[in-house]
Amino acid sequence: MIRDLERVRNIGISAHIDSGKTTLTERILFYTNRIHKINEVRGKDGTGAVMDSMELEKERGITIASAATHCEWNNHAVNIIDTPGHVDFTVEVERSLRVLDGVVLILCSVSGVQSQSITVDQQMKRYEVPCIAFVNKCDRSGANPLKVCGQLKDKLGHNSVMLQLPIGLEDKHEGIIDLVKMKACYFEGDSGERMVEADIPAELKNDADTAREEMIDAVSLFSEELTDAILEEGEITEEMIMSAVRTGTIAREMTPVFLGSAYKNKGVQPLLNAVLDYLPCPLDIKNEAIDLDNNEEAVILDSDFDKPTVALAFKLEDGQYGQLTYIRVYQGCVNKGDTLINARDHKKVKIGRLIRMHSNQMEDVDAIPAGHIGAIFGIDCASGDTFVSPDVNYSMMSMHVMDPVISLSITPKDNKAQINMSKALNRFTKEDPTFKTYVDHETGDTIIQGMGELHLEVYVERMKREYKAEVTTGQPRVAYRETITRKAPFNYTHKKQTGGAGQFGRVAGFIEPTEEEFEFVNKITGGRIPTQYIPACEKGFESCLVKGPSLEFPVTGIKVSLEDGAYHAVDSSEMAFQSAARGGFLEAYNKAKPVIMEPIMKVVIETPNEFQGACMGLINQRRGIIQGSQEEGTMSVIESQVPLSDMFGFSTVLRSGTQGKAQFTMEFSSYKQAPQSVADEIAKRKAEEKAAKNK
Amino acid sequence: MLKNDLILRSPAEKIIGAENITNGQFGAVLSRAGVGKTRFLIQIALTRLLCDEKVLHISLCDTIEKITIRYNEGYTSLVDSIGYVDAQIAERLWDEIQHHKTGIAYNQSTFNVNKIRDYLDSIKGADLSLPTLMIIDGLDFDSDLSDALSELKQLQQDFGLCTWFSMKIHREDPLNHNGYPIQLENYDMLFDRAVFLVPMENKIQAITLKDGDRTDQKFLLNSASLMPVEE
Repeated sequence: MIRDLERVRNIGISAHIDSGKTTLTERILFYTNRIHKINEVRGKDGTGAVMDSMELEKERGITIASAATHCEWNNHAVNIIDTPGHVDFTVEVERSLRVLDGVVLILCSVSGVQSQSITVDQQMKRYEVPCIAFVNKCDRSGANPLKVCGQLKDKLGHNSVMLQLPIGLEDKHEGIIDLVKMKACYFEGDSGERMVEADIPAELKNDADTAREEMIDAVSLFSEELTDAILEEGEITEEMIMSAVRTGTIAREMTPVFLGSAYKNKGVQPLLNAVLDYLPCPLDIKNEAIDLDNNEEAVILDSDFDKPTVALAFKLEDGQYGQLTYIRVYQGCVNKGDTLINARDHKKVKIGRLIRMHSNQMEDVDAIPAGHIGAIFGIDCASGDTFVSPDVNYSMMSMHVMDPVISLSITPKDNKAQINMSKALNRFTKEDPTFKTYVDHETGDTIIQGMGELHLEVYVERMKREYKAEVTTGQPRVAYRETITRKAPFNYTHKKQTGGAGQFGRVAGFIEPTEEEFEFVNKITGGRIPTQYIPACEKGFESCLVKGPSLEFPVTGIKVSLEDGAYHAVDSSEMAFQSAARGGFLEAYNKAKPVIMEPIMKVVIETPNEFQGACMGLINQRRGIIQGSQEEGTMSVIESQVPLSDMFGFSTVLRSGTQGKAQFTMEFSSYKQAPQSVADEIAKRKAEEKAAKNK
Repeated sequence: MLKNDLILRSPAEKIIGAENITNGQFGAVLSRAGVGKTRFLIQIALTRLLCDEKVLHISLCDTIEKITIRYNEGYTSLVDSIGYVDAQIAERLWDEIQHHKTGIAYNQSTFNVNKIRDYLDSIKGADLSLPTLMIIDGLDFDSDLSDALSELKQLQQDFGLCTWFSMKIHREDPLNHNGYPIQLENYDMLFDRAVFLVPMENKIQAITLKDGDRTDQKFLLNSASLMPVEE
């Protein structure tokens, strides 16, 4: 394993669905001699690309789980995480970005910056991951990499700078012009494996000169040496330009743009060179952990192999030999036979077998030093756990994880399926923090929760395929919430005298809406309620938020102000005040005009222009609000906000309404008050359910 | 409360009158390039949004992102003109009203009125409330628009909405005896309201060319915010 960290790159490949991520990764593996034959995504031979190791991914042509792989290029180690493109699986993207030092953002040269590119870009910003862009599919009809470079500027706010120009586009795409070296690059051989440098074609020389001048002008901002050379009209060397581009890229102040066609084997090797030249090595990135022994103070981790070990488990997979845990080591070195501590539960973990992954094949290694990505066999942990040496108690920062917005009841078909389903759910919840499961004690149903219909659909499918757990699913259910809309007072006395010690507690005050989930303000003066009972009051109020009094959805956005009360020297207790608080809440709740909140999704449709009206109609029929629609060439992009409850089955409807030519992405946006008609319907349904249960 | 205050500060209210905006059929905001046609149209739209009405903004020259930014800027200028306003209240109001605006950006070369009709039909079909005001920004009044304007007139009758256009004029074009630029003169009969924006030193003069009985009134606007300036 390469120990010189300047020769290590941990990169991700992110993009909109169907932009060619997996195809590009496949080419990279081929050119770095990791595989000896290129398999296409949805290839005619039915083999599928190597990076899509899960059966389901191969079948659907989408990448569901990040497959980590290792390769070597020009004496550098490159660890690649292939990230999924569908919004429903963004937790995968986020987890990958957490452990990466740089990203290759793939954009389609025809569709340009699409909705998912925007989501991925926001995630990159959140984790401050530097990126380079690759404009793929230059062989496609309508390809326009210059327009895409402009969109990177306009739509994503990147300082995008073209470092290459295409030699021909669409079916005439032959190669690229390297504006740093001022050479034309062609790709020969059956799989484009021989990169041949030649002089720039005469007809493109002027364009190349102009583009190089613009590029140097933009890049000179990041290098005084280069600026001086320009001003003094001195020699501008390749090294000067490359050093300036690297500085700008690592500082996230510029995005160099490369281009080609992965499918037609053009432009991949120069992109690999760019990964080495411009994306950061682990030493260039500042990684922080929190010191659990020191008031959660941030500590900077050092990629020193001799310091105490800190490693993050960012992905779990069920392999044929048990749980495979992908880790990124940030400090120290994880050696075979080491004993580390899981910072979450302080359990000791003995490191048995260490491996380096190449998609679904593995290579045994003795150690994974700081800055590297690898995997451990046979340890029990959850995704996001931190492993540390016994002498430190650090944890990596927690990841931003959203609450699930949709749920589905699942019932196993038989006893065997029941056992397998439990195993599968146990694994999935460990793997994916946005996937949750619980048993509804009233109905006895197992409920799974996630970020979208497709998210849950894939897990149900994985249960069937990987765990042989046949389950039947109920209707998807939306995670509604309740809140109040006005201030309402309470003045409740809980009094019970049924022999033995009595119970007494009185609480008075008001509840009102707030932006926070729950707030409790103690305004008691003069010891009307003794201090020791105040936490019990808070607990009592908070316990009411789990289920709303009438519709039984979780209650949010409540501020309780406790102003007055009374106690009894003998009969008051914590329990009595908890009960008084619950009574007070119930008394005030209905007076505070409760309403139902429903999850609203941001839905972005991309459709050929001729179906723009039809797509807008579909959104309108679903209580959606169209925020904007933009024609871009032959395609239109429609952005809208639609209640999740109206989005069930939308993919089928959209497909049939647009002859299968439109696609959409959906992600959670916010909770909004449901209209009265919808609220009435939900209340009616709830009442029917209750009645059926009581029968 | 804030809604009313904002409406009263609006240049559209001062120059045209908030109620008059949707009283007519076709209205136009005329000026040379870069003076403030789009910004004024957005102020017109904002007065209707503040009245809880729906607005459809069609742009043939800007992207959706740009339109959204311009609306945000227009609203900010309006809020700032009041002086102290609780930022949270202003933000909440913006969240509430901005969803009543739908922006559609069409390519100038492929634009046709049927596309708008399709959209309005889809709203009608879903039994949703229709916009009362449509803004069309970027239509080229130097070309022959007779067909497009008569189709738009029909659209207006079918869906009961009022339409305001931006109308770009040129420095060198002479004005007719009524003070109308040629672009307006060509379609004089179709328009019942027109506001002409003329840059004056560091301000903008808004002249009502057509507005029922209030024609030829002049107002001064701040060139940066487009807010009315006390004379």
